[in-house]
Amino acid sequence: MALLDRSEWYDVARATNWTPRYVTETDLFPPDLSDPFGLPMTAWEAFDEPYKVSYREYVKVQREKDSNAYSVKAALSRSKYYDSADEGYLSLLKLHYGAVSLTEYQACQAQGRMSRFSKAPGMRNTATFGMMDEMRHTQLQLFFPHELLARDRQFDWAHEAAHTKNWAVLGGRHTMDDIMMTRDAITTSIMLSFAFETGLTNLQMVGLASDSEAMGDFTFSNMITSIQSDEARHAQLGTPSIEILIKNGKKAEAQKALDISFWRVWRLFAILTGIPMDYYIPLKNRHMSFKEFMHEWVIKQFARQLSDIGLEKPWYWDLFLDDIENHHHCQQGGIWSWRPTVWWNPPGAVGPKERAWLEQKYPGWNDSYGRYWDVITGNLLDGHEEKTHPNCIPVICNMCQIPVSNRPGPKWKARVYQLDYQGKRFNFCTPVCKWIFEQEPERYKDFETIVDRMFSGVIDPPTLPQVLIYMGIGVVSNGGRDGYDYSWVDGHRKQAAE
Amino acid sequence: MADIDDLSKPLKTFSHLAKLKRRPSEYEIVSTNLIWSTEDPKRPWAMSPTVPLSKWYIQYRNESPLKHPDWNAFRDPEQIVYRTYNMMQDGQEAYVDGLLNDHNRTEHDKGLSASWLKTLVRLYTPGRYPIHALQMGSAYLVQLAHASTVENCAMFQAADQLRWLQRLAYRTKELSKFHPNAGFGTTERKAWEDDPAWQGFRELIEKTLIAYDWGEHFVALNLITKPAFDEAFLRQLGAAARNHGDTLFGLLSDAQLIDSERSRRWSKALIDFLVKVPGNQAVLDGWVKKWAPLADKAIEAYCSALPDSPDAASSAKAAARDWRKSLGLAA
Repeated sequence: MALLDRSEWYDVARATNWTPRYVTETDLFPPDLSDPFGLPMTAWEAFDEPYKVSYREYVKVQREKDSNAYSVKAALSRSKYYDSADEGYLSLLKLHYGAVSLTEYQACQAQGRMSRFSKAPGMRNTATFGMMDEMRHTQLQLFFPHELLARDRQFDWAHEAAHTKNWAVLGGRHTMDDIMMTRDAITTSIMLSFAFETGLTNLQMVGLASDSEAMGDFTFSNMITSIQSDEARHAQLGTPSIEILIKNGKKAEAQKALDISFWRVWRLFAILTGIPMDYYIPLKNRHMSFKEFMHEWVIKQFARQLSDIGLEKPWYWDLFLDDIENHHHCQQGGIWSWRPTVWWNPPGAVGPKERAWLEQKYPGWNDSYGRYWDVITGNLLDGHEEKTHPNCIPVICNMCQIPVSNRPGPKWKARVYQLDYQGKRFNFCTPVCKWIFEQEPERYKDFETIVDRMFSGVIDPPTLPQVLIYMGIGVVSNGGRDGYDYSWVDGHRKQAAE
Repeated sequence: MADIDDLSKPLKTFSHLAKLKRRPSEYEIVSTNLIWSTEDPKRPWAMSPTVPLSKWYIQYRNESPLKHPDWNAFRDPEQIVYRTYNMMQDGQEAYVDGLLNDHNRTEHDKGLSASWLKTLVRLYTPGRYPIHALQMGSAYLVQLAHASTVENCAMFQAADQLRWLQRLAYRTKELSKFHPNAGFGTTERKAWEDDPAWQGFRELIEKTLIAYDWGEHFVALNLITKPAFDEAFLRQLGAAARNHGDTLFGLLSDAQLIDSERSRRWSKALIDFLVKVPGNQAVLDGWVKKWAPLADKAIEAYCSALPDSPDAASSAKAAARDWRKSLGLAA
């Protein structure tokens, strides 16, 4: 007899539920942290994680993966790649590390909650590996940017961003705190593992890896692909949860958790992925538009997963499809205009060739977003750079914490969706963010947006220099400037001269 | 103006590590100051402080009687990072694979006596419940940690527990193949829930799991329950195994103790770190005094069932107590 196959003993290692005697089941698994849906322990024992791994396999495979990722980095650290890397691409990296590195680390605690409080033994074990995976992702995504500090101080945000109150960070933290840090184990498995990891990030990694490979950044591409291979495993925590809930008459509850979290994550995801894909990656290196990517990787595949598992598309699916056409274009305009408030150097990057590409990928772009950039381009051509910096303060959505905006031009669509609650007026970017608030106003009502803080005295005095300091700009590093120092306007200058 | 404050100067390391005045280790670069929920003690998360999870962090972590002004200053004495953990454990697991393979080839399990098999099915294979419960408790330390450097140690500990849960499941299956009618793989839950030998540990562990204050949980889990269980289950059962021809169990328990020793080293480092803060010593001693009698009771119930081991209970209790004494705590 040789060593036993994993399948022979695996079930014994997840037959670990027992009936408590010296404490109550409610004490051991408080519903607020464990299962607020009230399913019996035995229902959760049916939990069957689709991707199985043993500890023995895990440490071996992960060791090999790390050996590969770190050795690629070691070999490439001798190359001069980053010295001559495209500034738009470097912005993608800075944005990515600032948004992601420490978020991965908070996810260790979310996985820890599933590992401790799920009534499903299979989930408890799988989340233990999930916790370890998130530690890995944190460590990789701190160690790699660390090397770039000597060339550019903005990489300090890989560690510092989450400790600042930068507006972009407040938005990211609000979403992540909502879907993974303040939910019970079962809801976390739907919101984090299914909506976020299965629905969006797993696929984001695919896009990001292929973008960075096209840019010749094999260190990053290799690292991201390696991270994605972990995500693909632990993301599967969500599907058995949903199946068990549906089987036990809780489909509506599972659907609602999905609807809330998918939208919340989407609003962030479009900024983190959509803007770099369509604006930061140089035209010659773009392999597909964000919209094409979304349709291929998210809409087609995620919709199929939803139907396979027995859930419906979120009720706002049409609004979501429309948002794919607009949200990241709006935010590219906004972030570029308020570039001194961010820790990367967002390129405008809408020269004549880029605009032709955008028009082809997003028919009608020139007639809408193009008009916004016409004004900016005109000011730059006239030598009025100062006019490209807005003097007004945007309205911030009380849910996603992102400036309220929508398609400009003749079909002007921007509007704010308002709600009066307990004597206070709340503003929302879309009916979906408003709907999420309405589901649980007490959860959200007292969070102050960055603009609220200017008026409530938190940022005092509410002057631009003080706001910047509050946001970590000029403290951690200097804020952003146009990534290409406006060289993209040269094409328009030539055109104007011809 | 120091270079760190001059934004036009490049950095040699993350700004929060620049004050070290030396090149930080890989461990420091990737492990320190990573938690964002500790900045505002009244509001750990962006959600309202009244949502259940926010209240939980405020009550059980932020307002724990165990205090430290700078939890982030804690360092794992071994500075283990994810990739070095996997290297170490891949090597350890290769060793365990070798043990299992060797003993399988020599048909080790076939030679075990009927009376020893009864001991194994009663006192060994039901151990998957407490081992898994210690995994759950370790995950709780992760979930509510004050600092990433503490959290990482707890994560490795949780993973270690999962390791031994799976190895025990493996052995359960293997023993059941050689001895299909001995009850392996079928009677463990009943033994854990009803056998008097296990009830002390069951009570200790169930109560530890609901000791939700982070500080108390750490003391109950890492200073009381885990050492008591390891002394009785690994050391004393391991000694009995050797006397009953079960070489494999002796070797496996030695391998498992390597992980337990690591847990004790970081626990000691954390105690050393904590007792420097006035007030903590009394808080820690109070919890030790509260929990130690329950652990002694658990050891006695368990060890009294060990065959031919009259000194097992006193040895196990003394070992757990001596270790706590070595930390400078009320034993």
